[in-house]
Amino acid sequence: MPEAALDFSGEAPAAQAARIADLNARYEHHGATAVLERALKDPQAGRLTLVSSFGAESVVLLHLLSMIDRSTPVLFIDTMLLFPETLAYQQELAERLNLRDVRVIRADDIALARQDPDGTLHQFDTDACCDLRKTVPLQRALAGFDGWITGRKRFQGSTRATLEFFETDGPTRIKVNPLAHWAPEDVRAYMDENRLPRHPLVARGYPSIGCAPCTSPVAAGEDPRAGRWRGQDKNECGIHIVDGKVVRRSDPMTDPVSEPTPLAANAPEPVPEPVIVTDTGFASDDWAAKAVLDLGSDTDPAAVDLGSAPGLIRIEFPSFSDGRGFSIARQLRLRGYQGRLRAKGHVIADQYTMARRSGFDEVEISADLATRQPEAQWRFRANWQVHDYQSRLRQG
Amino acid sequence: MYQYNDFDRAFLASRNDQFRDQVQRRIDGSLTEDEFRPLRLMNGLYLQLHAYMLRVAIPYGTLNSAKMRQLGMIAERWDRGYGHFTTRQNIQYNWPKLSEVPDILDALAEVGMHAIQTSGNTIRNVTADHFAGAAADEIADPRPVAELIRQWSTDHPEFQFLPRKFKIGVTGSPNDRAVVKSHDIGLRMIRNDAGEPGFEVLVGGGLGRTPMIAKVVRAFLPRADLLPYLEAIVGVYNLLGRRDNKYKARVKITVHENGIDKIRAMVEEEFLKRKPLFSGVDQEVLGDIEAQFAPPAFKSAPIDAFDAAYAADPVFRDWCDTNLAEHKAPGYAIASISLKKHGATPGDASAEQMRVMADLAEQFGHDELRISHEQNVVLPHIHKSDLPAVHAALKSADLATANIGLISDIIACPGMDYCSLATARAIPVAQEIAERFKALKLEHDIGPLKLKISGCINACGHHHVGHIGILGLDRAGVENYQITLGGNHTEDAVIGERMGPGFAYDEVTDAIERIIRTYLAERSSPAETFLDTYRRIGTAPFKAALYDKETVDA
Repeated sequence: MPEAALDFSGEAPAAQAARIADLNARYEHHGATAVLERALKDPQAGRLTLVSSFGAESVVLLHLLSMIDRSTPVLFIDTMLLFPETLAYQQELAERLNLRDVRVIRADDIALARQDPDGTLHQFDTDACCDLRKTVPLQRALAGFDGWITGRKRFQGSTRATLEFFETDGPTRIKVNPLAHWAPEDVRAYMDENRLPRHPLVARGYPSIGCAPCTSPVAAGEDPRAGRWRGQDKNECGIHIVDGKVVRRSDPMTDPVSEPTPLAANAPEPVPEPVIVTDTGFASDDWAAKAVLDLGSDTDPAAVDLGSAPGLIRIEFPSFSDGRGFSIARQLRLRGYQGRLRAKGHVIADQYTMARRSGFDEVEISADLATRQPEAQWRFRANWQVHDYQSRLRQG
Repeated sequence: MYQYNDFDRAFLASRNDQFRDQVQRRIDGSLTEDEFRPLRLMNGLYLQLHAYMLRVAIPYGTLNSAKMRQLGMIAERWDRGYGHFTTRQNIQYNWPKLSEVPDILDALAEVGMHAIQTSGNTIRNVTADHFAGAAADEIADPRPVAELIRQWSTDHPEFQFLPRKFKIGVTGSPNDRAVVKSHDIGLRMIRNDAGEPGFEVLVGGGLGRTPMIAKVVRAFLPRADLLPYLEAIVGVYNLLGRRDNKYKARVKITVHENGIDKIRAMVEEEFLKRKPLFSGVDQEVLGDIEAQFAPPAFKSAPIDAFDAAYAADPVFRDWCDTNLAEHKAPGYAIASISLKKHGATPGDASAEQMRVMADLAEQFGHDELRISHEQNVVLPHIHKSDLPAVHAALKSADLATANIGLISDIIACPGMDYCSLATARAIPVAQEIAERFKALKLEHDIGPLKLKISGCINACGHHHVGHIGILGLDRAGVENYQITLGGNHTEDAVIGERMGPGFAYDEVTDAIERIIRTYLAERSSPAETFLDTYRRIGTAPFKAALYDKETVDA
């Protein structure tokens, strides 16, 4: 019974109610920053953590926190069903904002194996899935804290319409909602003014972002949270509980269930592997070379045996940021090698000019890269002989 | 001053087109964030704590009024009305929008400026003595050579993806104002016994978490061999430098781990191979560049007005005594404009201030301005008879702070207020120290003193080579400031010595005052500088003042 973990017994005790009332009275006329800044140091609030989904609007609260105390623990619940974009965004934000203590919370393996062994629970019982992957792990992670900071706002729906800065969460824990009084335009303005990076899915029609299977895009004019658990009588995952009880808002959702839009749209036609790039564009390998000498990027060019005069030397680029291959090519040319010289691996179109100027004749790339950076992008850089400071300083 | 020719302009236009295209290709997914990152960095665009930051190169720190005005225009139109001059003779805009950056780059190109290779693992903006072409102690103007290096290093096909960033500094004066010994390659323009011009070439200097003084790799390099020799050094480094650990990737570590003798042998061998690539055309280009750096037509005029103002106006006199340096032309002075007003952010200038400085350069200064690595602006050629008018204009623009070279002329990195790497605040510390010594009215009594503050171990504030260095660290979530003494950035460069345990944020200014009071008590005469006193008496009296309660209270 995963719900058991949510069952805080009855009303908060009187002392807790008095504490909440006192906190709300003391902070009544404060703004978000002041509430957050002071609550973090307020003995009555105790030890706080920020719980963030790293979703559509999370960056606002995370940024506020990073300005005040970036060592505050931040809990991020990885349900293991999140969009890859969310995971990447989580990493990016943590790095950009220099958050020092981001803790990734996951369901434990045993519970997962028992309750959702094949990862399909969400298809037949979304509540149970939320409890297993979000609510229970979070409750466990919150055990060491006196309270947690959330980004919830009054405008987000009827259950949140009377949200205060402080509310109780069970008999002893509190929730702090610094953004309670913010309007949607405040959120937008804050993000604009601070040039904060947006979750990449927002631009693709997801104003509220949860797990991939249960989040779909929202059409213009729809409630921003309409894409969450679309078609179900469910609008909260269960981690936000009012006065110790799970309250699930029931907004009638009449739209049919729709799948999330595929992330990689309009994929170009597949390209046969490998692709050889020259000044004239893409081609297949002509396999004309009788012998090929493959050199790693850690090769000492002075030690390469050129006596065997292979028809083709390929120099490996394990990563586009490893620029050793350019110097190896130049040094082989300086040693007098006049055969074909090919850069092979992760070379991007923007480096084509560098490769040609360093002495390479051609570049060999994978079909994947050729798909992502099609021929036109390479041909854009095929005019490698113009605008070249080097040739001006060397030729007569 | 070097004027961009058709080639330079066409190059910049094509480069800006490429960047516009790269931004678009990042948005459409052709470039991954990983792939876009070095491309945006090699065009000067950083992602910082609050926003993007655009770092614009001011090659060898030289500007004219048109360029300075354009920098002001950009600050006003695309930023928040100010710019920040850095220790590497760049200007940084802290609030550009990504979508507007290509337009900013086009506006820069209109006046022959760019942001190329101000970041990334490339050869960075070449720096030079900010008094170049004006200083009385100069052997040769380093700027033509620096411009040649700019052209050679720009878009160099082999060296856009080096193990780590690579900085070159040039000085043409025996009194090094360009901190060349803290550069990856330092070049000192010298003459050999036969009187031929050339360079002493140093390699492997750097500050950061592992400060190193550069070592001599070639005691005398004939002038014509410069480019092949530089190419040999960077070529050797590109293959030998470590790529497994970002913190061990600078050439200073390559030199340290392999030894200067091995590096020298490899470089000399590579140099012989590279030399034939240069047929001498580069020297012709250098000749053309030199012609463009011909000294301006200095005027001769009476300086009675200067003498009269100097005698009559104590504020003017104070400014002259502190902010002027000796010029090679009779009747002229080098005037430094302090961007270190007490309590202000070191290195910041408003758009309006940039316009005032541009106007002054145009009207009185042979249309030349310089940016110093000490984050000040220099009017290199001012005839003394014009100084009273210049000073009056500066005063009305809030630019007449008379503290060049004094304790409040502090180098400070942006610190935790702007930089995502920083672990402690730097600017507020600088502000508080400056305010303290202003209130104590001790600045001029203390005399020449280089105080430098870094907000993390990357040492952008050059604290290692400050006479007094302050390094802000994060100790278990609390800012902690370590103090070093005795560092020096000039031709006899030395890394400062750490005194002992660090100080809390609110204790730093008191600690600095205790150091200064010790100096004032111990100096043999008012003429003995802080650095000389420190060298004479050693660390003990300063440590006692810093850590020994009784001594302090006595």
